[in-house]
Amino acid sequence: MSRTIVIGGGADALVAAQVLARGGHEVMVIESRAASAEEGWTPAKVLRALELEPVELQWPEPWLSAPLPAGGRLELWRDVARSVESIRCVSPKDAERWPEFCERMAKLARFLESVYSEAPPDPLSPRFALRARRLGRRGLEDLLRILPMPVAELLDDWFENDVLKGLLGAAGVQHIMQGPRSAGTAFRFLHHHVGSPTGVFRPPRSNVIELLRRLPRVELQNTEVLHIAVRAGSVVGVVLKDGRELDADIVVSSIEPRRTLVELVEPGWLDPELVRALRYVRRRGVAARIRLQLDRSPGFSALALAPSLDYLERAYDDAKHGRVSREPYLEATCDAQHRMEVLVQYVPYKQKAVSLEGRVLGVLGEHWGEARPTHTEFLSPRELEEFEGWPEGQPHHAELSLDQALWMRPLPELARYRAPLPGLWLCGPAMHPGAGIAGASGFHCAHAILGR
Amino acid sequence: MASYDAVVIGAGHNSLVCAAYLARAGRKVLVVERRERIGGAAVTEEVFPGFRFSVFSYVVSLLRPEIIRELELPRHGLHILPLESTFTPLPDGNYLAQWNDHDQNRRELARHSLRDAEAYDEFGLMLHQMARAVKPLLAMAPPDPTSLSFGDLMGMKRLGEHFRGLGVKRFSMLTKLLTMSSADFLDEWFESEPLKATKSASGIIGTLLGPRSPGTAYVLLHHYMGELDGVFRAWGFAKGGNGSVTAAIAGAAQAAGAEIRTAAPVAQVLVKHGRARGVLLDDGEEIGAKLVVSGADPRRTFLGLVGEQHLPGPFVDSIRRFRFRGSSAKVNLALGELPDFAALPGRGPHLRGAVSISPSVDYLERAYDEAKYGEYSKRPYMDIVIPSLLDPQMAPPGKHVMSIFVQYAPYQLNGGWTDARREAFGDTVVDTLAQYAPNLKNAILHRQVVTPADIERIVGLSEGNIFQGELSLQQMFFLRPVPAWAKYRTPVSALWQCGAGTHPGGGVMGASGRNAAMQILGRS
Amino acid sequence: MASSYELSHEREYHAIRSAAALLDVSPLYKYRVRGKDAARLLHLVVTRSVEDMKVGQVGYTPWCDAAGKVLDDGTIARLGEREFRMTAAEPNLRWLEDNAVGLDVSVEDVSDSLAALALQGPASRIILEEIDLKYFRIADTTFRGIPVQVSRTGYTGDLGFELWVRKERALALWDALIEAGTPYGIVPAGMLALDVARIEAGLMLIDVDYVPARKALIDSQTSSPFELDLAWTVNLQKERFVGREALAAEAARGPQWQFVGVEIEWQSLERLYAEVGLATRLPATAWRTSVPIYSGGEQAGYATSGGWSPLLKKYVALAHLQSKWAAPGTGLEIEITVEHRRKRAGARVVKKPFFDPERKRG
Repeated sequence: MSRTIVIGGGADALVAAQVLARGGHEVMVIESRAASAEEGWTPAKVLRALELEPVELQWPEPWLSAPLPAGGRLELWRDVARSVESIRCVSPKDAERWPEFCERMAKLARFLESVYSEAPPDPLSPRFALRARRLGRRGLEDLLRILPMPVAELLDDWFENDVLKGLLGAAGVQHIMQGPRSAGTAFRFLHHHVGSPTGVFRPPRSNVIELLRRLPRVELQNTEVLHIAVRAGSVVGVVLKDGRELDADIVVSSIEPRRTLVELVEPGWLDPELVRALRYVRRRGVAARIRLQLDRSPGFSALALAPSLDYLERAYDDAKHGRVSREPYLEATCDAQHRMEVLVQYVPYKQKAVSLEGRVLGVLGEHWGEARPTHTEFLSPRELEEFEGWPEGQPHHAELSLDQALWMRPLPELARYRAPLPGLWLCGPAMHPGAGIAGASGFHCAHAILGR
Repeated sequence: MASYDAVVIGAGHNSLVCAAYLARAGRKVLVVERRERIGGAAVTEEVFPGFRFSVFSYVVSLLRPEIIRELELPRHGLHILPLESTFTPLPDGNYLAQWNDHDQNRRELARHSLRDAEAYDEFGLMLHQMARAVKPLLAMAPPDPTSLSFGDLMGMKRLGEHFRGLGVKRFSMLTKLLTMSSADFLDEWFESEPLKATKSASGIIGTLLGPRSPGTAYVLLHHYMGELDGVFRAWGFAKGGNGSVTAAIAGAAQAAGAEIRTAAPVAQVLVKHGRARGVLLDDGEEIGAKLVVSGADPRRTFLGLVGEQHLPGPFVDSIRRFRFRGSSAKVNLALGELPDFAALPGRGPHLRGAVSISPSVDYLERAYDEAKYGEYSKRPYMDIVIPSLLDPQMAPPGKHVMSIFVQYAPYQLNGGWTDARREAFGDTVVDTLAQYAPNLKNAILHRQVVTPADIERIVGLSEGNIFQGELSLQQMFFLRPVPAWAKYRTPVSALWQCGAGTHPGGGVMGASGRNAAMQILGRS
Repeated sequence: MASSYELSHEREYHAIRSAAALLDVSPLYKYRVRGKDAARLLHLVVTRSVEDMKVGQVGYTPWCDAAGKVLDDGTIARLGEREFRMTAAEPNLRWLEDNAVGLDVSVEDVSDSLAALALQGPASRIILEEIDLKYFRIADTTFRGIPVQVSRTGYTGDLGFELWVRKERALALWDALIEAGTPYGIVPAGMLALDVARIEAGLMLIDVDYVPARKALIDSQTSSPFELDLAWTVNLQKERFVGREALAAEAARGPQWQFVGVEIEWQSLERLYAEVGLATRLPATAWRTSVPIYSGGEQAGYATSGGWSPLLKKYVALAHLQSKWAAPGTGLEIEITVEHRRKRAGARVVKKPFFDPERKRG
C-alpha cells in the first residue's frame, strides 16, 4: 500500500486524497490554512465518483445587475425570457439577440465541460478532433473562431448596448492582467460560463468543500510543509515546519507549481530549463477583495460596475502601466445575511492601494441606499497572497490565458500532473482545468497516479 | 464582348502573381487595374522631382522564394539589396544596434545585457525551428476542420501528422507563439528593453494591437522565414523601390502572355445564376471570362463588386465581421542631407539598415493606448529606411529619400482624417524623429504623409489595412477571410479570391496569389 | 585570437614544441563564482566532482544539458574554499545563473576585466623563473612586479602555463614575458599554430569537433561526454548534476559513438598520389571540415579536424566513429581528394594523444 501525502487543503487536494484513499493509498492531507469556500463548478463525474451530495450550486438572482446611466438597473436573470425583458429597456435589438447568444455560448460551454471532465486533451489526437466535431459545423466554427478572440470583439459582434457588453465582458477579464480587447479573453468568458445554466455568465458558489471535509478515510493535519524530501532522485516524504519528517512514496502538491518545485524541492533536482520556464509562468494577481457586513440589504444581490468595454479597457490601461485603476471595475455580491464580497480590479500586485478601500466604498455607497457597513476587510493582492496563499494574489495560481490552458497548463512539461521527479505529482488551480473548476484537477491527478 | 479564360481584378502583387501562374499554364488572362499604374500598394512613384519613393510598402522580406525562382523575377528586373542592421536610438543618448555579423551583434548586445547576448543565439535557433514548422502551411490551401469532405479530412490528417512530427516541445512553442503577446513571449528570453521593444515591434505592424496584446508574438516568426530557404538576408530593399517588385512580376506575367490594362476600374463582377461571367468596367465595357479572380480585399470584393444579393446571408455577416482597422501610416521625406543621430553621429553603417524608434515596450504600448481610443500616437513607433543609401538612383545625387513607416495612426480617427490632421500627424512624426536626429528638420526638402484614409482612397485597401484585414488569430488560416471559404473559392462559382485577405495574408509575400493560382489550376 | 603573427605559422608551431610560445587567450569567457554554495553550484553544473577539489587545483570538464548532451567545456579553478573561476568557450552566465536558483552564490562575468596569456613550450618554466607548480594547479604570484595568477594548464599538450592578469596589466605582462623569453626563443603564436598542437595533443575544439547542444539544429548533432572520449570526466557517483540520469543510462548501455585518433597510412597516401604521377601532397595547415571515414562499403564515421604533424611526421585526424569501429588498431579508409578526384586512403584508429611528452606533467 502506498503512503501518500497530499499538500494543501483546497477542493483539488481533498478530491485527490479521497480518490487515492479509495484506490488503496494510505493518505494524509497537510494543510496550512483551511481553504475558504470556493467558487466554481465540479464535473458530475467527480461528484459521482465520491458520492458527494447534496451539491448546491448557487447564483444570486438576478445573477447580475448593473446601474444604467439613465437610472434604474439592467438585470440579468436565470430565466432567459426575463433577461430579455430587462435588456429590451436598453436595446430592443440586443434583447432579440440574447436568447440565440445564450444558446450558442452554452453549447460551447458544454463542450468545455466535457473537456474539463478529463485530463488535458492531446490536441492532435483523432479522439479530440472527433469530440470537437460533435459540436457540429457551426459550433466548431464558433469554437475555433471565438477561443482566440478578444471578448470585446465577440460582444461587439452580437450587441450594441455598452452596459450589457461591459458586464458580460468583465467575465472575460476577471483575475487576469488583460483587458477586454486582449485576444483570448473570449475563451475566459466561456470558461466562466462553464457549469452555469444557459444565460448565466458567472460561476456558481458551491458547497463541495464542506461535503469533502465531511468524508472519512483521510487523515487531515493542520501544519505546514517546509520541504519535499528527495533522495537519489525520488521523492521520499516531506519535512514539516515543526521539524517532523514524514515518509511517503507519493507526494501530491496542490500548492502552486513554482513554489512546489523551486522552493519546496531542494535546488539541483530539476532540469534548469524547467526551472527557467517555471519562472515565466505568469501569475500576476490583479484584484483586491473587500468583504463587508451591511446592516441591511443593499437592494441588490449582485452588482457590476463596468459600464462599458472601454471602461474596463481603461481600468486595465492603468494596471498595464503599473498603477491601480483610477476607475476600477467592481463587482459585488451580497447574501441573505447582508454579507457582501467585492471584487476590485485592477490592482497590480506591487501596489499598496492605500486609499482604494475608501474610494470603492464611496462608489458602492451610491448604489446600496440606506445600508451601512458595520465591518469591512480590505485585502490587496499582496495581502491575499499572505492570507489565502495565492501567489502574487492570483487565485488561479497561474493566469488562465490560452498559452497557459489545457495541455499547456501551466507548462506543457507538467500538464499531465506528473512532476519530473519520481513520486511527486501536482494538482490545484494551476493545473488543468483549475482556475475555479473545483476538484477536477485533483481528480485527474489522482487518476493519473492510479494509472487509470 | 471580349472573352478571356480569366480576368484578374487589380494589379497588386498577389493579382499579378496569380495572373502570371495562370498565364504560364496557358490560360488567356487579363488583369484590370483601377489606377493608371500597376503595383497596388507596391509602387515606386516620383512624388517630388528627382525623388522616388516606395510610397506604401517599402521593404521586401517575405516574398516567397519559390515565386522568385519559378517566375524568374531577377530576369525581369528584381534585385533585392540587403538591409544590414537595425538601429534603435534611445532617448538617453545610447543606442542598440542589431548587426548581421554574429560576433559584432553579440558584443553590442552584451553592452546592454550579458544574459541577452547569451540568449540571442538560442532564441534565433528556436525561431528557426518554428519557422520550419510553419513554412509548409504557407503554401497550403488551409483545410477546413469543420468540413467532412475527403479533401479536408485528408488535409487535416496531413496537418496533424506535420504537427505531431514536431514533437510536444516544439508544438507547444508554436502554440505559445500563436497565442501569446510579443511582450510576454520576449520576456521569457530577454531583459533589455530596447531589444524587446524592437523585436516586439514586428508583432504590431499592420494591426491595431499593442505589444502586450496576445496574438502579437506570431509575427516575430516572419523575420526568420526568408533565411530558411537559403535566401540569406532576405530582408531587404528592392532596387528601384517596391514598384520594381510588382514590375518584375508583371513582366513575368506579360512574358507568359497575360494582358494588363490600367485605368480600367471594375464596377462590378457580373454574376448570372450564381456564376461569375466576367466584369463590368466603370465605363460600361463588359469583359467576359470563364472565371474571375479578385485581388481586392474581401470587403471590397464581396460587398462592393459582387453585391450581397448574390451571396448567402451568413457569408455576408462573416464578411462584415472581418476586421480591418488600419493603423499604419507612411511619411516619405525628401532630404537635402542624411540624418545625424545624436546616439551614433555620422554616416555609419547603421544608416544603411533599418532605424527603429522603439526604445521600450512601454513606449510602444503607450503609442497603442492612444490609438485604441481613436487618436494617433503622440510618440509613435517608426520603422525607417533610407533607400537612397542602398540605391542612389532613388534621389538626386547627394540627396536622399527617407521612408518612415509609422504606427499608430488609426483609420477610425476621432473626428476623421482631414488635411489639417494629416499635416499635424506629419509634424508629430518629424518632431519625434528630430529628438533623435536633431538635424532632421533642416534637412527636409519635401514631405508626403500617407494616412490609412489615404491608403484606402488611393490603393483601395479597406480602412487602409496593409494586410487586407488584420492578421489576428481569429482571422488566420482556415478562418481567413471566412470559415469554409478560405481555399480561395467563393460562394459564387467561377469567382476566386487571391488577395492578402486570404491565407496566409499580407506582407508582399505573394503566397495568396500563388496558392490561389494552384487551386484554380487544380494543383496543390 | 590572431591566426598567426608571421606570414607562416610554422615557426610559431615549432616554438611551441621546442622553445616557448606566447598566446593571447583572453577571448575565453571567464566567470568568477563566489559564495557559500559556490562549490555546490559548480558540482551541480559540471560532470566532474567539484566539491572534492582542493584549493589551488584546476580541473578540465565538460557540462551538459538535462539530456546529457555537452553544452560547452572548460576549466574550473578552485581559488578558495568559496571561490572558483570557470572558463568557457561560449557565454554561460545565463546558464550558471539559472542553475543557481535557490543557492547562495554569486556569478560574475569577468571575461572583459581579466586577461589570459598562455605561455606554452618546453622553455616556459624557465621563463617563469623556474616556477614550481604541479600539473593542473594554480597559484598567485608576481612576474616582474606584476601580480598574476599562474596555472599549469594549456591547450597544446606540452609543458605550459596560463597567466591570468587584470586587463590593465595585460600588455605590460605580455611585454615582460617576451623580454624574459627572448633569450629562450619565445615567439608570439596564433590560432593556426595552436590548431596543429592541439590536434597532436588530441584536444577537441567546440564548433569544430562537436556541436554544442544549444546550437544543434537537430538532435543527432549533439554529443554526450562519452561520445567525445570524456568518460573520465563523468562522475556518476555524484548524487546529482545536470544530465546525470541520461548519462547514467548511456553509461549502462554504452555510447553509440566514440571520439578517437586516426592515423592516415603513408604508403596508401603515397600510392594514391603516385597513381596520378604526383608526389604526396600534405595540407599546409590543419583542416576543420567533416571528412567521411569508411569501413568497406559502410560509413564508419567522420573526421572533424586533422593535419600533418610536423613533429611526428604523420598525417593525423580526430574522428567520430561508431563504437564498433572505434577500437585502436581498427583498419579504415578515409576520403582524400587527389587531383580533383575523391579517393580513399587507408587509416588506422590509434590512441590519443598522438603526442604526449613526459614534460607535460613532469
